[in-house]
Amino acid sequence: MNLLVFTKRVPATQEEEVRIIDDGKGIDLAKIPFKVNDWDNYSVEEAVRIAEKTEGTVTAISMGDRESDEVLRRAIAMGAHNGSLLQLTEPLHDPSQRAAIACNFIKKENIPFDLIFTGVQSEDDQFAAMGGILAAKLDLPYVSMVIGIDEIEKEYVIVRRELEGGLQEKIRVSLPAILAIQSGINEPRYVSIMGVRKASKVERKVYEAEVYNDAPRLIEVERWVYPPKKGGARMLAGELDAVCKDLLGILKEKGVYQ
Amino acid sequence: MSYALIVAEVRKGIFEERNLDSAGFASLLQKETVLLIPEGPYEIPPITERVLKVPVEEATFLNPLFMSTLIQKVTELKGKPDAVIFTSSSSGTELASYSAGKLGLPLITDLSAYDKERAVFFKSYYSDKIFGEFKVKGEGQFIATVRSGSFKEFAVTKIPATEAMEAVAAGGERTFLGYVEEEKGEIDITKAEFLLSVGRGIGSKDEIADYEELAGILRAVLSGSRPVIDKMWLPKVRQVGTSGKTVKPKVYLAMGISGAFQHIAGMKDSECIIAVNKDPEAPIFQYAHFGIVSDVHKVRDKLKDIVRG
Ligand SMILES: Cc1cc2nc3c(=O)[nH]c(=O)nc-3n(C[C@H](O)[C@H](O)[C@H](O)COP(=O)(O)OP(=O)(O)OC[C@H]3O[C@@H](n4cnc5c(N)ncnc54)[C@H](O)[C@@H]3O)c2cc1C
Repeated sequence: MNLLVFTKRVPATQEEEVRIIDDGKGIDLAKIPFKVNDWDNYSVEEAVRIAEKTEGTVTAISMGDRESDEVLRRAIAMGAHNGSLLQLTEPLHDPSQRAAIACNFIKKENIPFDLIFTGVQSEDDQFAAMGGILAAKLDLPYVSMVIGIDEIEKEYVIVRRELEGGLQEKIRVSLPAILAIQSGINEPRYVSIMGVRKASKVERKVYEAEVYNDAPRLIEVERWVYPPKKGGARMLAGELDAVCKDLLGILKEKGVYQ
Repeated sequence: MSYALIVAEVRKGIFEERNLDSAGFASLLQKETVLLIPEGPYEIPPITERVLKVPVEEATFLNPLFMSTLIQKVTELKGKPDAVIFTSSSSGTELASYSAGKLGLPLITDLSAYDKERAVFFKSYYSDKIFGEFKVKGEGQFIATVRSGSFKEFAVTKIPATEAMEAVAAGGERTFLGYVEEEKGEIDITKAEFLLSVGRGIGSKDEIADYEELAGILRAVLSGSRPVIDKMWLPKVRQVGTSGKTVKPKVYLAMGISGAFQHIAGMKDSECIIAVNKDPEAPIFQYAHFGIVSDVHKVRDKLKDIVRG
């Protein structure tokens, strides 16, 4: 079985200050470390497991700047057989354009596949849309929030997708298809720095994304802004000892701690 | 006809609350609002001017392959909708992206606010650290998914006019086989008065025992954000958030949790939220009543020391 898996390099902003610059025209990511999108880590793992079971191949595809080669090497270290970088000269904020590039690339380069995986969303823009738009453009069935693959046959897969509040639904999808993988579906294997280094020896192909871009931009970012402040928390400041005593005071006042 | 089409989110015969947000956003567009819903026993509140009932099962309605065909059919009958609005749920997100791809319409997901004077859409980036102000190109038609809790207020209260649609063919390459219920767990975090909730910020599974101990001496119940459950540091029944449990304790103490929307949605109605995070810009501080900027482990150890005397 041939599997394509999209993997994206994203800024790890969880613990960092993200600053808006140029009067709202830009975001300063210069000092922010980058990593593989969390959801893609799960989808690479799932693809590799299926390939191992079905004696198939996994092709990792990344769309981004030259540095995105790093996530391809990581995917290869996890077990992907090869990698392709669709190199962008500037970030694309419209998921329709990204999906169009992916679609044209797969068609024009005749990339064979039975299943395509994307992560449910990427951590940076949270669009959660690439898989769905791509599936529509390739005229394939689509399932998102996939939390389990229970059965895999030549013509179909049976998957569980996650709904709200712990409920799941079981779905049968004909192949070829696109699945957007939800976190928690598996436990991604650990990759060492050595492993990533070794993966550098496997050839990765680089393509100019622009060549495949025939779609107009459907949405445009006008400006970046900070979200409106909601009033926010009363901050407990001072020595740690005093702060913790204040915290215990609040717990007592609320009646949950004696 | 100039109208906004709201795709109802229904599940197991229930008309979901979050449809109110879709209707709230639709009312800002100042167009006629039409609710698209499968036939069924749903109690539809008067939130739109018209209702279009589709003679299909709920599961078929929620199939993206069917939905994109259905919207095409509605377009043939009623003209192009100016907006097609979904909720930001598991299904809404799936249906919206597929439909946008099929219909070639601009898509804005996880919409949090809208400026009607400038026709600008606000969408969160980096887990609410930044918002992008988006404009749609072309003739102004678009598809959006609406973040729940974002558009609560709207005007329509009259009983809508209901119309039935003819059935369209379903997308057979994807078939619903049934629901799978979550296993009942060893503990019900929704019943706890005091939740100590840990996030990815606690660093590793090895730390869990120490937080369990802290929860024990504070008589709190230990819960967690999604990554903590995904990494199997805690069992699934302890997950707080949209895909976990919605909780409403007297006190919710969040340690090392950033405050992603899917987490906030599950705990925002707690009576008192206290957040500990080393990042002063962590979005959770926007929702908390009290905040502490510090290393979680230091706070944990200090609390233990004080309580033990
Ligand atoms: C469809 C869908 C459903 C989802 N459902 C849920 C859900 O039900 N529940 C849920 O929680 N999430 C859910 N998520 C995931 C959600 O988007 C976030 O990824 C998740 O909530 C982040 O968890 P976190 O805050 O623990 O981790 P992170 O976002 O990684 O945040 C960790 C925080 O810890 C802080 N930190 C790190 N080290 C320390 C330290 N030493 N001391 C103090 N602070 C520290 C950091 O500053 C950061 O703010 C869902 C996502 C999707 C797409």
